[in-house]
Amino acid sequence: MAGGQERILRRRIKSVQATRKITKAMELIAASQISRSQARIFANRPYRHGMQRIIVEAALGDPAAAKKLLATPDVVTSAVVLVIAGDRGLSGAYNTSALRAGERLVQQLQREGASVRLYCVGKKAPSFYRFRGMDVQQSFMGFVDRPSFSDARLIASVVAAPFIDGEVQKVLLVSTRFHSAGSQGVETEQLLPLALPDPVLEDAPKPLKGYTEFEPEVEQLLTSLAPRALESEIFSALLEGAASFHISQQRAMAAATDNADELGQTLTRIMNRARQDSITTEIMEIVGGAEALRSGK
Amino acid sequence: MATLLVEIVTPEAPLWSGEALALIARSSDGDFTILPEHTATVGDLVPGVLRVQTTEGELSFCVHGGYFQVGTDDKPEETRATVLAGIAEKVTDIDVARAQVAKEAAEAQLAASSRGESTDAVTERLAHDALARADLRLSAAG
Repeated sequence: MAGGQERILRRRIKSVQATRKITKAMELIAASQISRSQARIFANRPYRHGMQRIIVEAALGDPAAAKKLLATPDVVTSAVVLVIAGDRGLSGAYNTSALRAGERLVQQLQREGASVRLYCVGKKAPSFYRFRGMDVQQSFMGFVDRPSFSDARLIASVVAAPFIDGEVQKVLLVSTRFHSAGSQGVETEQLLPLALPDPVLEDAPKPLKGYTEFEPEVEQLLTSLAPRALESEIFSALLEGAASFHISQQRAMAAATDNADELGQTLTRIMNRARQDSITTEIMEIVGGAEALRSGK
Repeated sequence: MATLLVEIVTPEAPLWSGEALALIARSSDGDFTILPEHTATVGDLVPGVLRVQTTEGELSFCVHGGYFQVGTDDKPEETRATVLAGIAEKVTDIDVARAQVAKEAAEAQLAASSRGESTDAVTERLAHDALARADLRLSAAG
């Protein structure tokens, strides 16, 4: 019967509207988190730039020591890869694009003949890699939305350990970098040996002019600086990852809300037509009945 | 007149910045004082109390290891001293009760690992660091 179809449609519209409420709420929450996580990135920048600046200064102060400590090894037989993804889904391509990039990097290193130790951040990562038959050494989770510096310290001490022991020659990081509110992208960067900041970048620190004193010697300074710089880089990657996650989630949820709006509209139209049909049928029946009664007289 | 601009920066946020008369701290080479027009220097800081003398008095910061850079940017009459510390706080902001609790927790952790109950090297090193921080906070505030 026509009335039955109308009831089914009404129920579907209600369910679509309920889903829309959820996606709208998630969109608003993500939007409020964006500005907070962005503020944290800006609050972190002076520290990060200061660190990079000190490395540049030290490297210029004693190029020989810098070459020894900062140069990338020619032969890599073993490497650590750290992938930063999110704890939660419903965030568009945020998790998968970082995880995929990590997977590609691991495969590339393996093709070059290096063994890889994989570490990851985020609840979504271990299941992704386990499904693909890749071993995850250790995964960190539970703080991805609001990372603190002690989280970064913990990760740094874990991933640096095999490098310090000489078991691996390289530590690489795959994470989503936040360039601006409109642009984020997955990037791979070398954490250890320390990479000098790219001089091409506009905001790269410029060295001071003239003679600089070092306390202690550059070699000793760079050796002790490496773990601190690693912490700093991981922390900024976590912060930028968090901001990118919220932006990605806000976008995904805004799209979902729009879809729900559209679906609700389509369903309402179908329901109205069904109701109109049933009314027309009813009128026809009444008219037909009256007609039959009159002709029966 | 030459001025000294001090910035104390942590990863979470800039902690303090302002004009100062002198910056007194300790690197692994020993105690040092930075005055306006100090030559360009890069160095490390050992955990300890860092003091900043301003026209309004002296400020003390508890710095759990870090680095500093002294230099002039564009203006030669303005010396900049940037202190980068992974963890740092104003001595007046130290929560003595919390530091005491952290000290006991770290000591318990270290006692457990010395008995051989947990042999995780990372946990042990973190406990060492936590203990050192708690001790420094207590001595700075106390």
